[in-house]
Amino acid sequence: MIGVSKAFGGVHALRDVDFDLRRGEIHGLVGENGAGKSTMMKIIAGVYHGFEGEMRVNGERVEFRSPRDALAAGIGMVHQELSIVPDLTVAENVFLGVQPTAAGVVNWARMKREARKQLSTLGLEVDPAARMGSLPVGLQQLVELSRVLFSGARIIILDEPTSALSPPEVQRLFQALRRLREQGRTIVFISHFLDDVLEISDRITVFRNGHKVITDDTANFTKDSVISHMIGRGSAEMHMGESAELVGDDSKPVVLEARALDDGLMVKDVSLKLRAGEITGVYGFMGCGQVELSRLLFGKGALRRGQLLLNGKPVRLRSTAAARKAGIAYVPENRGMMLFRTEQVFKNISIAILDKINRLFLKPRREREIAEIHIKDLQIRPPRTDIALGNLSGGNQQKVALAKWLTHLPKVLILSEPTRGMDVGAKEDVIRIVKSLRDRGVAVLVLSTEPETILTLADRVTVLRRGVVAKEFTSGRLEKADLLDAA
Amino acid sequence: MTMATETTQRPFELKRFMAEQMRNIAPVFTLIVLVAFFATQAPSFRTFDNMMNILSQASITGIIAVGLTFVILTAEIDLSVAAIANAIGITMAYFTIQPDYVNIANIPLNGAVAIILTLASCLALGLVNAFGVTAIGIPSFIMTLAMMQIANGISAMLVRGQIAYTFPDLVTTLGAGTIFGVKWSIVVCLLFLLVAHLVLTYTRFGRYVYMVGGNREAAEYSGVNVKFILGAVMVICAMCAGIAGMLGVAYFGSAQQNQFDTFLLDAIAAVVVGGTSLFGGRGGIGNTIIGLLVLGVLNNGLDHVEIDSFLKILIRGLILLAALVINVYAQKLRESARD
Repeated sequence: MIGVSKAFGGVHALRDVDFDLRRGEIHGLVGENGAGKSTMMKIIAGVYHGFEGEMRVNGERVEFRSPRDALAAGIGMVHQELSIVPDLTVAENVFLGVQPTAAGVVNWARMKREARKQLSTLGLEVDPAARMGSLPVGLQQLVELSRVLFSGARIIILDEPTSALSPPEVQRLFQALRRLREQGRTIVFISHFLDDVLEISDRITVFRNGHKVITDDTANFTKDSVISHMIGRGSAEMHMGESAELVGDDSKPVVLEARALDDGLMVKDVSLKLRAGEITGVYGFMGCGQVELSRLLFGKGALRRGQLLLNGKPVRLRSTAAARKAGIAYVPENRGMMLFRTEQVFKNISIAILDKINRLFLKPRREREIAEIHIKDLQIRPPRTDIALGNLSGGNQQKVALAKWLTHLPKVLILSEPTRGMDVGAKEDVIRIVKSLRDRGVAVLVLSTEPETILTLADRVTVLRRGVVAKEFTSGRLEKADLLDAA
Repeated sequence: MTMATETTQRPFELKRFMAEQMRNIAPVFTLIVLVAFFATQAPSFRTFDNMMNILSQASITGIIAVGLTFVILTAEIDLSVAAIANAIGITMAYFTIQPDYVNIANIPLNGAVAIILTLASCLALGLVNAFGVTAIGIPSFIMTLAMMQIANGISAMLVRGQIAYTFPDLVTTLGAGTIFGVKWSIVVCLLFLLVAHLVLTYTRFGRYVYMVGGNREAAEYSGVNVKFILGAVMVICAMCAGIAGMLGVAYFGSAQQNQFDTFLLDAIAAVVVGGTSLFGGRGGIGNTIIGLLVLGVLNNGLDHVEIDSFLKILIRGLILLAALVINVYAQKLRESARD
């Protein structure tokens, strides 16, 4: 890649970037949200076309019009959001779109055999006849990876592959990646998890503000130096989220109490007390029922048994609208679930408070004023109320999602994975916002699969395991190892 | 119109602008081409009387299309509008005293009472649609298909093959009368369009309609009562259809079965041809007005030029297909311009 630039609607996402990949290397790619690393990779993988500069594969100039073109040239990408079909079998997913056929009929036996062989090259023992949706996320990801491999990709781009994985799953992924490296394939590893990048990569490239800051051998980097390249200023090692001092205070008033909540599926007999001016953390691995728990608390999902008490009074939240009116705010884990990409920023911010600022008729000017305050407060970039939300980077979208609950303080704020997939700077912003809300008396619930998030934020911690409360930590020193141990 | 809120002050880029505005530009362009074509081809087309004629022909469809605009903006559909219009028109006749030669076992009531009862039954049909779609969770496509059959059944039961001719005076005036030489039905239709536009653009409810259509999940997680909004648009749609049916039978001068059959396609076509997105969240009354005019001009204009009358049906179908292609294509163009 030589002198690549790419602009979206006048905003430069990449400026004159040179970038190269060597055969048989694992190349780590880091940078804050909006630094340009995803844009660069999407250009390489043919997702975006039309850019300045040129791209060469094996010395030959190429131009991709679609991901299919890129794949034909041996470049495949595994996106953060997996493109699998949960209702089909593993084998069908591996062969999605290219099933082996005999006389027009799918050759199932061959498909299973090939799929098993393919998966075993990644060191996986998976039943090809198993339903994809029944596998844990980590395995689904590897199945998707094997699909990309099967189509002959020599260069594989992985976007945030470890963000949803438990530590053993990460190790399994790394083993698979090392095998691929031995086969002479090239892997690009995009991640916010610097420890993971430092562990697996041979070389690391750091992006900042659409520029490439540095490319060097991993041996020449430390976590500190990577961070300082990313944020552009010298920074001491941030001891963020290795351990925490819990300060749970049982004398604080309970705002929302859950008594033996049970949805008959993922949440089993969970009791929880959220106190004013405290951040309660709920930690657990993927699929431990925390997402479902958070939904129940926001009036979504069918409650089989159990009771909710708001300020000591029993409540039934029949809908999310009822929950919002009761003073509960919710930020789900997936940005697509809470934002309107094609609508303007100010409409995204005002949606949750429309009934507070307008009676019947809208007051767009007031909405914009409120939006402007939050944009300034949360340092949302670019600082515009009138552009469509889709034009903002991921971290900024996340801030908008938070902003919509900040005008009229909720009694309870529920945050599911508030910092997942965010860069250091945006993470710090979000942490600052959440803590300031706590200090203003909001009862905050943070649910996360990332121990760091819980340890940085929580005043007390509940660990969920398979839908059941496994352990509660109220005060004293809590180490990351304790959390992992309890989950 | 939503077009106004779309424009932003980012550096002007023609391609991007065109991509964003495709759904608004294409229908206006179509309208201009059609008017120019018919005006040059048929002298009888370009008279003032004919213009008024087009408007009055479009007025009943227009009232139905107003309700459908709400529904389609939330990415739902209502296939029962024409059947409801028919059933409600007949219901009103059923409550009105008929001439002796009309052999219907009706219940003649005072005009005002008849109108109120008719509106109430219309509300009831709308509530059934709303209940089915929100509380039970039947896809609106299927739910309103069932309602179409039910409403047709009501029509059949009430008139039993007969034709009714008299309606409450107020409705007769609004449906068939004129004011200052303008048909009352046009005035009523314009009023509906105006109120609907104001509701969609300037009220909280209108914003919710767009947001639910734009991203239903996000609306729900923002604490919007999505089911209420969906139910409300189904009821609004049924009410608009019912009122169109009441004025419609007065406009025709009679109430009988299968009288509104062509209105279903016309009303949906008007909304979609106008550029309101079938995927929800985009478009509005401005688009519907253009769509109504395109359809009105087309229906009327084809009568003024020398074309095989059987071919006309095919032509209408092809134009609708073209509009659908543009509708879906506009969405894709928009999305690709964003990324």
